[in-house]
Amino acid sequence: MRSNPSGGLWKAVSITALLSTLLLLFGFGYSVKDMLWPQQGTYVGEDLSAKPPERSKLGQSKEILITAIGDSLTKGTGDATGEGYVKQLIPLLKEKFNIPVRLNNNLALNGMRADQLANNLGKEKGIRYSLSQANLIVFTIGGNDLFQIATGQSASEATGELNMEKLKKELPVGLARLERVIKELNEINPNAQIVYVGMYNPFYDLKGLREGSLEVQKWNQQAYEMIYNYPNMTMVPTFDLFEKSTERYLSSDHFHPNNEGYAQIAARIVQSLE
Amino acid sequence: MDRLLPLIQNETLKIWKKKRFYVVILVLLVLIPIFTYAQMKISENNAKNFKDWRNQLVQQINDMQNALSSDRIPEEWKRFRRIAVQQLQYYLDQNVNPNSPDGVTFTREFMSNSVTLFYPLLVLAIASDLVSGERSTGTIKMLLTRPVRRWKILFSKLVALTLYVSLIVIASGILCYLISGAFFGYGGWNMPIFTGFLINGATVDSTYVHAVPQWLYMLMQSGLIWFSSMTVAVLALMVSVLVRSTAASIVTMMAAVIAGTILSSMSSSWESAKYVFAVNLQLTDYLQGSPPPIEGMTLTFSLITLALWAVGALIVSFRVFTKQDILN
Repeated sequence: MRSNPSGGLWKAVSITALLSTLLLLFGFGYSVKDMLWPQQGTYVGEDLSAKPPERSKLGQSKEILITAIGDSLTKGTGDATGEGYVKQLIPLLKEKFNIPVRLNNNLALNGMRADQLANNLGKEKGIRYSLSQANLIVFTIGGNDLFQIATGQSASEATGELNMEKLKKELPVGLARLERVIKELNEINPNAQIVYVGMYNPFYDLKGLREGSLEVQKWNQQAYEMIYNYPNMTMVPTFDLFEKSTERYLSSDHFHPNNEGYAQIAARIVQSLE
Repeated sequence: MDRLLPLIQNETLKIWKKKRFYVVILVLLVLIPIFTYAQMKISENNAKNFKDWRNQLVQQINDMQNALSSDRIPEEWKRFRRIAVQQLQYYLDQNVNPNSPDGVTFTREFMSNSVTLFYPLLVLAIASDLVSGERSTGTIKMLLTRPVRRWKILFSKLVALTLYVSLIVIASGILCYLISGAFFGYGGWNMPIFTGFLINGATVDSTYVHAVPQWLYMLMQSGLIWFSSMTVAVLALMVSVLVRSTAASIVTMMAAVIAGTILSSMSSSWESAKYVFAVNLQLTDYLQGSPPPIEGMTLTFSLITLALWAVGALIVSFRVFTKQDILN
């Protein structure tokens, strides 16, 4: 071969390319081997745990860090703006305490029942992590246990399934689940202020379902007895908001609050905190 | 006796002198900063909204779960999400950040996302006019009148093409690392990446999951990308033998590749689409543990399908090239 000025270029290109090809072939072979004959491996990483906040009054802490958990009420279903009570808490808390407020996570799930929540609190490391960081935890749960209806359904479908006998039967089951939730929460983060938003009867204005309010009141009563045992926990009542003012505070699904309804819940939570 | 090496050298230098590789580099130099910038905006937004990546990840999982509970969402979409949720959960449980903001992670994701469209495009920039280009300039006659067997000419073109495909894969990785590293930092080589997720329907079996350091994962992934790209390259070589004009050759191949990506996003109901080569290009999905576009596709299946297409293309290319009359 005649020597030409391209000799150097050829050498550079060919050697680089050849080495690249060999490297890639090795990578290809290795990945095929690794996938077709996988080896069990154990990965030991750092444990997922956060330093819990110091036990202090909310107003005296450097920053309020909120983790919200529970069902669709905490998610904010029904609020056309998507805020729910959780997001509306932030400006109210800022105003009251004059310190930075941050929503750590809103981990509510639509349709969540208390037993599911208790299970998740027990095993989901990510949820535990987020809860243990917070110095304010807000939660709602129980609505799906009692009314046994999926969220997002229309009122007619929802009421169609509801009967009072069933509601009475579900009450003790649901309360036992709630107790598990409260215990788990206290175990995960005993230092945070924990607010439970009480239950209301969305069907107060519907014939034949008005007496559901009595069951809801029993729920609230017994829930309060559980929460009473923990000095850092508070329960905020909401039942009165949705009796006369269903038009004003309930969304079109006749089950979830609307933006204004959530604003009232948020205001009550802030009133209860110090 | 005509030796092969000078022919290969000739072909390699011809491609280089046609400045096709410069075009590839130029495209990378323009596109990578754009994606880097977009990623930077996302990271900034996340940093603003979340205390750390675990909060972001746990929120991401929660959002997906909320979407899963909606009846309005098609079942097919849910299957992907359910699997994604379980994998993210696995990362979270092991306290490993799957989207760590560093140059190596960005490069890994960029390469993995590029395998079905962007790499084929870059490969086509080089492969499409290998033979058809010689036709349009007329140099094919000079090439074929030399006392060299025709198969050797095509073979030398194939070898040169292989070399450039390797260069494209490696160069894209290096460029991406250098550019994105300037923004995200040059670390992340030893971060663990989990591989070996087995997907059964909508559940993920993590029995065989093991951690691979990211540098090794990158190497494995690049190898798979190279295999996909080689299949495209060989098919493009065939098209360039069959079609006279370079433009037609590029359009044909691009059409096939694009059709493949569209098919893989909608062909869950048309199962035979899995035999189309372009549906199988996303080999990196198997490594990552993402579900394949069509149920029943496995790594072995995709590798064999791609290999059969490539072998078929080679047979056609060599037969046609050695027999064909050069008129004009």
